[in-house]
Amino acid sequence: MTKKLLICDDDVDIVEMLEIVLDDISYEIITETNSKKVLELISNTHPHLVLMDLWMPVISGDQILKHMREDKSLASIPVVIMSAAPDGKEIALKAGANGYIPKPFDVDELVQRVNEFIS
Amino acid sequence: MSIDHASDLPLSGNDPANIKLLKSALDSSISGIIITANTQNDNPIIYCNKAFEALSGYSRDEVIGRNCRFLQGNERSQQARDDIRKAVAKGESITVELRNYRKGGELFWNELYISPITVDGGQVTHFIGVQNDITRRKNAEENLRHEREQVEAKIEKRTRELNENKDYLDSIIQTIRQGLLVLDPQYNVISANDFFLKTFKVEKRDTIGRSLYELGNGQWDIKQLRVLLEQILPSSNPVLDFEVDHEFPHIGRKLMLLNAHRIELEGKFKDRILIAIEDITEIRASENRKDDFLSVSSHELKTPLTTIKGYNQTVLRLLPADINPKIPMMVNKSGKQIDRLQNIITSLLEMSRIQSGNLVLDADSIDLNILVKEMLEEMQQGHPGHTITFEGQINKKVIGDESQIAQVLQNLITNAIKYSPDAKEIKVLLSEVSDFVKISIMDFGFGISQEDQKMIFDRFFRVSNVQKHFPGMGIGLYICAQIIKQHGGKLWVDSEPGKGATFSFTLPIEKKETQHD
Repeated sequence: MTKKLLICDDDVDIVEMLEIVLDDISYEIITETNSKKVLELISNTHPHLVLMDLWMPVISGDQILKHMREDKSLASIPVVIMSAAPDGKEIALKAGANGYIPKPFDVDELVQRVNEFIS
Repeated sequence: MSIDHASDLPLSGNDPANIKLLKSALDSSISGIIITANTQNDNPIIYCNKAFEALSGYSRDEVIGRNCRFLQGNERSQQARDDIRKAVAKGESITVELRNYRKGGELFWNELYISPITVDGGQVTHFIGVQNDITRRKNAEENLRHEREQVEAKIEKRTRELNENKDYLDSIIQTIRQGLLVLDPQYNVISANDFFLKTFKVEKRDTIGRSLYELGNGQWDIKQLRVLLEQILPSSNPVLDFEVDHEFPHIGRKLMLLNAHRIELEGKFKDRILIAIEDITEIRASENRKDDFLSVSSHELKTPLTTIKGYNQTVLRLLPADINPKIPMMVNKSGKQIDRLQNIITSLLEMSRIQSGNLVLDADSIDLNILVKEMLEEMQQGHPGHTITFEGQINKKVIGDESQIAQVLQNLITNAIKYSPDAKEIKVLLSEVSDFVKISIMDFGFGISQEDQKMIFDRFFRVSNVQKHFPGMGIGLYICAQIIKQHGGKLWVDSEPGKGATFSFTLPIEKKETQHD
């Protein structure tokens, strides 16, 4: 079974860039730029890793993460938060993120982290 | 001469022996005695005793026949003369004090008793004047009066000075842009300045004399304030920068910074409490707005940078091997500039947070041996032109924010490399000094003049002669110094122009009880 990586960021350019960066990785990449839809998408797809932005309109990354942790069926899915917010790390870890990547990131480092979590 | 009342004496009659005896008695008196004849023109002196001669310095020959007024010298307008004149006119006796002059011109105070001698018909025929030199007493009185006047003048001057000082202090107190309260030891308000009354919208009459806790229907009965006054201040005096956050019924939420001082000096002010209240509600709100603005700005700047950096790195990775070598070189250079931009954005935000005191330490136990080694390996990879050597080993850990300490190390090593383009070596030394760990970063580059050394840790300061060749904003060392300061350490520089610079910083060693492996 191909492993699934779900990427969620309201900035479509970052999502596109990540798709290209992660192109040569043998995962199925699912993307979403509308944070309102992402919880449903996670429930439907059950990815092996969620790579998610923090500051998004309507529902923020940490709120989505909290919902996931409260939902038994989603609680065990690892989530890595990426953010350009100055206090991003603090918020992400408090909300129960498995990892944190500050933006802007090194592409090689990002790929390495994603690999660590999925394998 | 004849004295009628002499017949009343037991020595009666006109017996010359008796008269001689009486005259001897008069000459034995220590008071000067004269007799004047009122029935003659200008009331001349017709008798004086020996004591008068001694007192006035005049001999008998010189005074007989003269009116007494010659004794007054030029001071003919003394008040006492009028009194004498009136008494004489009425035929009454009188005692006066006169300023008289001896023959030699010397002033003496004469206590003069004048008694009229009357005949049966009531006519005053003679006056007897009894004189005593009271100069010494008068001088003593005069000195006393003078001293009293001087003391009074001094008191008046002192009182005036005190009033001036009070006015001066009052004007200072009324001018300062801080609320100032003076409380008695029972926390009753003794005084409140205008700024306090204005800021907290209270009337003077509702404030002075009231207990602080009762002011404005108990709106100053604040838990934090009670803690400050009743628990902290008695044992720790003065208390500075004590923050009180309180919702007032009418004026709303106020964030106040208090300095409290209990007067320890013995005396009537002992145990009075001075409270200076700064309303920092607006300042704090504006600081928070600025922080929020910078947070959002840095987020918004970093977001497009994320895409640029990602593509740039991916382009480099995807370049075919046989491409014109200029292309990877150019992509690499763009990458460096992207990193630079990223650092600037991070620094600006950090500086703002340092200034507003919002830089939070994510404190943890750090093994500096590992942190420094890792950092040096990373820096060495990025700067193959220099050789970074590392000496020293420590056996203790420090408490700190690892990412911030790493940032300081990175900044100092980057500087060392940047400002020693012609030298090839950077030395990093790690050692234990007392209860601190000391890390030194030594380069052999341009060095820094004594004058510049004083200012390099200031914000936006740049050494002028390197400005043109080495771009930067001059906030790196400021941030480093602030981070080290927040960790309880110190950052400093030793340098000689042309010989290089050594930047050293200390960090307190983790205390034993919290030391864990």
